[in-house]
Amino acid sequence: MTQFFDVTLRLLEGFKENCFLFGMTLLMALPLGLIISFGSMSKFLPLKLLCRAFVWIIRGTPLILQLFVVFYIPPMLTNGDFSIDDRMTASLVAFVINYAAYFSEIYRGGIESIPKGQYEAGYVLGMKKSQIFFKVVLLQVIKRIVAPMSNEIITLIKDTSLARVILVEDILKYAEDYTRVNGLIWPVFYSGAFFLLFCGILTLLFRFIEKKLDYYKG
Amino acid sequence: MKKIIAMLLVCVLAVSLLAGCGSSSKSDWETIKDKGKMVIGMTIFEPMNYKTDSGELTGFETEFAKAVCEELGVEADFQEINWDNKEIELSSKKIDCIWNGMTITDERKENMSISDPYMQNKQVMVTKKENVEKFSTKDGVKGAKVTAEAGSAGEEVAKGDDFFKEAKYVPADAQTKALMEVKANTSDIAIVDYVMSIGTLREGSDYSDLAVIESKSFSPEEYGVAFRKDSDTTKKVNEAMQKVADSGKLKEIADKYNLTDLLLLKSK
Repeated sequence: MTQFFDVTLRLLEGFKENCFLFGMTLLMALPLGLIISFGSMSKFLPLKLLCRAFVWIIRGTPLILQLFVVFYIPPMLTNGDFSIDDRMTASLVAFVINYAAYFSEIYRGGIESIPKGQYEAGYVLGMKKSQIFFKVVLLQVIKRIVAPMSNEIITLIKDTSLARVILVEDILKYAEDYTRVNGLIWPVFYSGAFFLLFCGILTLLFRFIEKKLDYYKG
Repeated sequence: MKKIIAMLLVCVLAVSLLAGCGSSSKSDWETIKDKGKMVIGMTIFEPMNYKTDSGELTGFETEFAKAVCEELGVEADFQEINWDNKEIELSSKKIDCIWNGMTITDERKENMSISDPYMQNKQVMVTKKENVEKFSTKDGVKGAKVTAEAGSAGEEVAKGDDFFKEAKYVPADAQTKALMEVKANTSDIAIVDYVMSIGTLREGSDYSDLAVIESKSFSPEEYGVAFRKDSDTTKKVNEAMQKVADSGKLKEIADKYNLTDLLLLKSK
């Protein structure tokens, strides 16, 4: 029983790292994704192509490889002069870039789904483009993208365990250590319960948000 | 205005991709000496490097590396790594050496600079305690399922050694997974390295119903410390290792972890 307690505490300690990576990635990737989505809808062709190429590259390569690129490639090219030495920071950079690319496409879908007539109505009323976006369009966009966003966000908490490939000490790393070092097998499977619980809470949260936004007719 | 900002953004992105392409001319050892510490890449692996109940890092390699670093006048800074990425960790300078019971092979010698061998290891068979007798002979092994870590020295034994000619080989993705297979009865014999088995198969672990077949061993190998290719640190560390051996300290550390029989580096 004390062993179960010890393992739980240790895994919880690792899960804190997953939660930190999850929270910080959301905090930075949500606004960055919006900026990239503006870029890929821009009428200025080079910017549009750059943003679309960026999204193509990031969505087209495995996240695990992107972690390697962020962590190992800069010091290899610069002979060690430029390098992100903190493993968590490097993971954070890779995760923010990766998730911003996915989020940007969700935003783009949401923004482009708003009928053009609403912009025209705004112009007729003498509103500026930014006013129309923030006062009329944005809330409708948020309502429409809650479902696809919740999908991505639930994937994010599970993806955080990938950071262990560059040795961020997350929950799965600790669980696997129990197998490797102590010869205990069950902690690996037990760690799934933490993710399941977290995703359960997220699901309830998203249901609540959807209900709250229910009165905006989309 | 908007176009100018957009253009600037494009330029900034392009420049940041090319930025910082300088190179330093200092030798590898000088860099380590200036830093005042040697970053030692290792994995948690009893009895080489492991944590005590209070969370302190200890083990044969931990103490040995500390003694050598003391001799060199730098601090030993241990960084846990993912063993699969050891070469890339080393060449990207995240670590200065790989010091974790690493087997010396010709391929590794080609790509890295490796110290003098300091310890010996061998591959042994691990099976359920009640099967030790049965699998001690070639006849007993006939038809048995044998597992080992894919790409390890154990795999070479399982596939190539005449002893296992009539056994069936199943790969596993880590040495502990190979042991897990035996425990779960999906395999009969795991071939793992002897040093690893000392740490893992002990009373109180989930593997306590497994045992090493002591009467037979395969492919002896040697452990060395790996540095970046053409590094001048190798020579420095070789000298320091010999000094630690001469002073009797190395034997003292090996005694503590029951590894004395395997020691190659003796005092002159």
